[in-house]
Amino acid sequence: MPKTQEKARLLETRRVADDTHRIVLYAPRITATARPGQFVMVRIASEGADPLLNRPFSFHRIHKDDGLFEILFRVVGRGTWLLSQRKEGSSLDVIGPLGNAFPMPEAQEEIVALAAGGIGIAPMVELGYRLADWAREKDSRQVFLFYGARTASELVPLGKLERRGIRASFSTDDGSRGSCGTVVDLMDQSVRESGLLPQRLYACGPLAMQAAVAAWAHEKDVRATMSLESVMACGIGACLGCALPAAHPDDSSRARHVHVCKEGPVFDSRKILWEKMEPTPVRPLTFVCS
Amino acid sequence: MGKDGTHARSAPDLRVQLGPLSLKNPVLTASGTFGYGQEFSDFLDLARLGAVVVKGISLEPRPGNPPPRIAETPAGMLNAIGLENVGVERFVAEKLPYLRKRNATVVVNILGNSEEEYAALAERLEDEEGIAALEVNISCPNVKEGGIAFGTDPRMAARVTEAVRRKTTRPLITKLSPNVTDIALIARAVEDAGTDIISCINTVSGMAVDVFSRRPKLANILGGLSGPAIKPVALRCVYQVVQAVSCPVIGIGGIQTALDALEFLLVGASAVQVGTASLVRPTSAVEILDGLERFLRHQGLASVREYIGTLDTSCRFPLAEETCAGDE
Ligand SMILES: Cc1cc2nc3c(=O)[nH]c(=O)nc-3n(C[C@H](O)[C@H](O)[C@H](O)COP(=O)(O)OP(=O)(O)OC[C@H]3O[C@@H](n4cnc5c(N)ncnc54)[C@H](O)[C@@H]3O)c2cc1C
Ligand SMILES: Cc1cc2nc3c(=O)[nH]c(=O)nc-3n(C[C@H](O)[C@H](O)[C@H](O)COP(=O)(O)O)c2cc1C
Ligand code: FES
Repeated sequence: MPKTQEKARLLETRRVADDTHRIVLYAPRITATARPGQFVMVRIASEGADPLLNRPFSFHRIHKDDGLFEILFRVVGRGTWLLSQRKEGSSLDVIGPLGNAFPMPEAQEEIVALAAGGIGIAPMVELGYRLADWAREKDSRQVFLFYGARTASELVPLGKLERRGIRASFSTDDGSRGSCGTVVDLMDQSVRESGLLPQRLYACGPLAMQAAVAAWAHEKDVRATMSLESVMACGIGACLGCALPAAHPDDSSRARHVHVCKEGPVFDSRKILWEKMEPTPVRPLTFVCS
Repeated sequence: MGKDGTHARSAPDLRVQLGPLSLKNPVLTASGTFGYGQEFSDFLDLARLGAVVVKGISLEPRPGNPPPRIAETPAGMLNAIGLENVGVERFVAEKLPYLRKRNATVVVNILGNSEEEYAALAERLEDEEGIAALEVNISCPNVKEGGIAFGTDPRMAARVTEAVRRKTTRPLITKLSPNVTDIALIARAVEDAGTDIISCINTVSGMAVDVFSRRPKLANILGGLSGPAIKPVALRCVYQVVQAVSCPVIGIGGIQTALDALEFLLVGASAVQVGTASLVRPTSAVEILDGLERFLRHQGLASVREYIGTLDTSCRFPLAEETCAGDE
């Protein structure tokens, strides 16, 4: 699929949850070949070099017929804060579509689950719509969604996704919505109550959550497909900056690196050396948005 | 007047001659910021570039440093990639044929941990087709036991250059580090050792930390600064090297626009390399090339060579000799 550099028009920007924004971009060339799981690099600065580097964001929704895609993002630093301040009608340089996509379930797989923590919901929504369509093709197919956040006001409304037949459940750290606990607690609860163990898990979220989901999946022998992050400069495989520690294909004791923008961002969880992953430092927002 | 008597209204002549190396134009990519070329083929025609300088190649593949490898800084970025690369054999088998097919002019950047490794690389590449020149990276600040030692010591810098010189008949570029007390000293040493061309600068050694987690932002702790932030340092280095040697110089550091590139040509660089700018905007190098051509037309210049090294440093209003000669 050809990668494109395109001037995208910002058609709509909206705050959808605490510190969380959704923007709609008109970029027909990028949208034409975009698939769920892939991402774009967005130039934040309208001119000059502040900030210098583009920021990676997953496709949240892809509307091929209209040449539009949506990004859902959380304000975590200066770049995302500046993006949240961008006005409708302005334009942004965007490069995409980049990286690989979520694979659809294999023929023998009928029960699949999506696990999202916090802003990790972003790439799961487009995938959720595709899986809802997939599930409608056959009665025995089922799609679960486990979605957790710190508190109710951080949960992003899921729109029509629930009405498409996806069985969604929620968790919050403080119990303000859904069950009190983590996404992994939700998954345990669901398996207990429904008696259905998913054959495939799709997951995205903070590192600790993803590592816990990966461990859960390994223990239960469930195939887990994860969308991962790393600091990026180029997004196109040129700088080798986005490396993550990975298991060697033949020899599990030998570490190697995978590059999130090229071999990812979607990985089979067994490929990743979770114990060697460095969590991204969190910066209190009071020191960011001024 | 053009060479065949036509007037400068026709396209300006962008060709440059760097010692034994003839280039169709003076805009090259910088090693490590352009992958192996293929990564950019969706965005631009590789054959248009003065040359594609590929990611540094070593004898054996290298896994590179642990992440995080990148940290953004004001108008710049720090990297500590650790010279991850596929190794010379895979480069020759998988990367070079693609570049040949695309008619790219290829400069192979090489690195090693000993003079012998540099020499062996030059020897291994000598009979491969489609390589216009070698660029010897004696300056990468990332690998603890590697590059740094060669680039900061004039004798060692000269020895590596000599070792490669003995094994290659190709045009030889030696790439200098700015992390030295006197770059002119190193430049003269590698010129005496037989390099045809000098390129500078590599990244500026730097550091970034996170005050909340109290951790360095790079796993390697130290990294190399690149981007607009280093342009004045780079320009100073190029200026000093041009004054110190008689071989041609390639300017590198913080070039984002055609006007940035022209600054380097003005102080005497015969060509430039575009680095970090390509990471941010993949089409940067060809846009700089187009801008260069526009500038030459605007200035009524028939050839880029008429502009190179034409900086006027004469003192207009001398009050006292020292005021002009000083550096502040
Ligand atoms: C493939 C991919 C898809 C992503 N999709 C989304 C998404 O859909 N929605 C969303 O909200 N976020 C997404 N992110 C994360 C998003 O890119 C970062 O939150 C953003 O870059 C932070 O920029 P900032 O200037 O606000 O923060 P900064 O002040 O720069 O840093 C804040 C934190 O973000 C991390 N960060 C900074 N720059 C980058 C970078 N270039 N790449 C990755 N991390 C960085 C830093 O390590 C730091 O911990 C994605 C990241 C990747 C790699
Ligand atoms: C991510 C990255 C990787 C680099 N890798 C190499 C390398 O392998 N060999 C080398 O000689 N220089 C390497 N460099 C240095 C660049 O070629 C260039 O000298 C430097 O970045 C300054 O130019 P710029 O400001 O235009 O980027 C690298 C730079 C960056 C940013
Ligand atoms: S971000 Fe540059 S190689 Fe992945």
